[in-house]
Amino acid sequence: MRNSDVVIIGGGIIGCSTAWQLAKKGKSVIILERNDVLSGAAGATDGVVGYHTKKPGQQMELAIQSIRMFDTLEEELGEPIEYGKCAGGMQPVEDKMQWDILSGIVEEQCRSGVDIRMISAEEARRIEPQLSENIYGALYSPTGGKINPLKLTLAYFHAAKRLGAEFIGRSEVTGFVIEDGVCKGVRTRDEEYRAGAVVNCCGAWAGKVAALAGLSLPIRPRKGQLAVTEPVGPFMKATIQCARYNVIKFRPETITDENILRYGSSLSIEQQEDGAMIIGGTREFADYEEENTFAAIDTMIKRAARFFPLLENVSVIRFFSGFRPYTPDGMPLLGPVSRLPGFYMAAGHEGDGIALSPVTGKLMAEYIADGKPTYNIDAFSPDRFLSEPSA
Amino acid sequence: MDDIIICRCREVTRSEIIAAIRDGAVTVDGVKRRTHAGMGLCQGKTCGRLIERLIAQETGINPAEIRPQKSRMPVRPVRISSFGGENSDAEQ
Ligand SMILES: Cc1cc2nc3c(=O)[nH]c(=O)nc-3n(C[C@H](O)[C@H](O)[C@H](O)COP(=O)(O)OP(=O)(O)OC[C@H]3O[C@@H](n4cnc5c(N)ncnc54)[C@H](O)[C@@H]3O)c2cc1C
Ligand code: FES
Repeated sequence: MRNSDVVIIGGGIIGCSTAWQLAKKGKSVIILERNDVLSGAAGATDGVVGYHTKKPGQQMELAIQSIRMFDTLEEELGEPIEYGKCAGGMQPVEDKMQWDILSGIVEEQCRSGVDIRMISAEEARRIEPQLSENIYGALYSPTGGKINPLKLTLAYFHAAKRLGAEFIGRSEVTGFVIEDGVCKGVRTRDEEYRAGAVVNCCGAWAGKVAALAGLSLPIRPRKGQLAVTEPVGPFMKATIQCARYNVIKFRPETITDENILRYGSSLSIEQQEDGAMIIGGTREFADYEEENTFAAIDTMIKRAARFFPLLENVSVIRFFSGFRPYTPDGMPLLGPVSRLPGFYMAAGHEGDGIALSPVTGKLMAEYIADGKPTYNIDAFSPDRFLSEPSA
Repeated sequence: MDDIIICRCREVTRSEIIAAIRDGAVTVDGVKRRTHAGMGLCQGKTCGRLIERLIAQETGINPAEIRPQKSRMPVRPVRISSFGGENSDAEQ
């Protein structure tokens, strides 16, 4: 049997960020990870850190807290994370209908005081000259940035370990230790780990892990497929999604084409530091099936060429996929579960987990170490999905 | 000896790969995500096996248990223009 102040289940970006913040507060932390630190979504993702993809309201307010932290994160972590504000974030719009929908969402988003605007096609092409002439306009967020998600996850991981956190890979949590209705620890195949607090940071698998503790929480995997091109010269600076990305995320009811809904096919595209373009954009419910499918790849590659005609001559060299932790209301589950003292959730960030990782770790550590976070996150309480315990 | 190049496409040395394994990588993907070995034009066709062998050697994990890279569709690079064609969903 092993003892620590806190056990973190899942060593993805959220688990590593939380471990680092807890270690900074002097807590002894053990991270139990089924595979390796980058084996979940953080190993298969884009790195958009911007406001314009955030749901207006509470999620936006949380993002503002989080994105502010990126300014000093690299220095605090002591490793390069390639944070750049570059040319902002942009969503080229195809027609008047998309324009109207996005304009409505932007208006709501701007109530939080962020700088997101609708701009003309000419302005958009001035910022990104490779954009097709055949667009109606664009959403533009000049402060939108990007990060290297692999480096950021590893930086949290290394910083946590330097402060004494212990990372145990190849250790799948298979059960919980629950005594008198209180969560006292977890079990893996060959060890029992006891702790004052257990945090479920299992991303798209968090629902399955919560079920091991008898909790039914609606977190499901939402698959995203990605393609990587050969490296090319400087091609684009902004992180770009087509407008349909926000339409699908916030107004899915306005989409009538079933294929678009099934694959959630919109485009996301950015150029990495090494020159490779990462093309992605599907949002599918396909259980945990990680294979790439031709139909999904085909629609997203076609959309890449539709918005950036010059890409036609570039070659794709690799495909992969990742699982976003989906929740029904698009917001993560953060904080304790009233029904099971000792058990905390920090999962369900869907497509925002990289951007929300700094603040998630910070607030979770405050909750656990100080009993109360410095910023009220009651709206994110896992309790919203749990009806009253049946006696 | 430690400085021989294992991944020729991305010029990743043996010592860099060993460092990634000591950092916790237990799969070819784990090494790849830490060092970029295997992300070059040949997509690990040359270096993948060598990396598997180094993982086995360093960790004592049975080579048969080391997960190969995740599958990826193109056997060789494919031009973006060769996708789709008819009924493109672009113009609607
Ligand atoms: C295609 C795609 C694009 C994205 N783009 C962006 C973006 O641009 N910006 C952004 O902010 N976010 C983006 N995201 C979302 C982001 O990647 C996720 O929200 C984030 O990575 C979730 O992190 P996590 O730590 O919660 O989950 P994960 O990284 O998935 O980590 C969960 C970990 O738990 C482990 N685990 C599971 N079960 C167990 C168990 N029983 N015992 C022990 N360990 C277990 C897993 O092995 C895994 O390592 C994208 C996601 C995808 C798929
Ligand atoms: S030799 Fe490693 S990718 Fe080609």
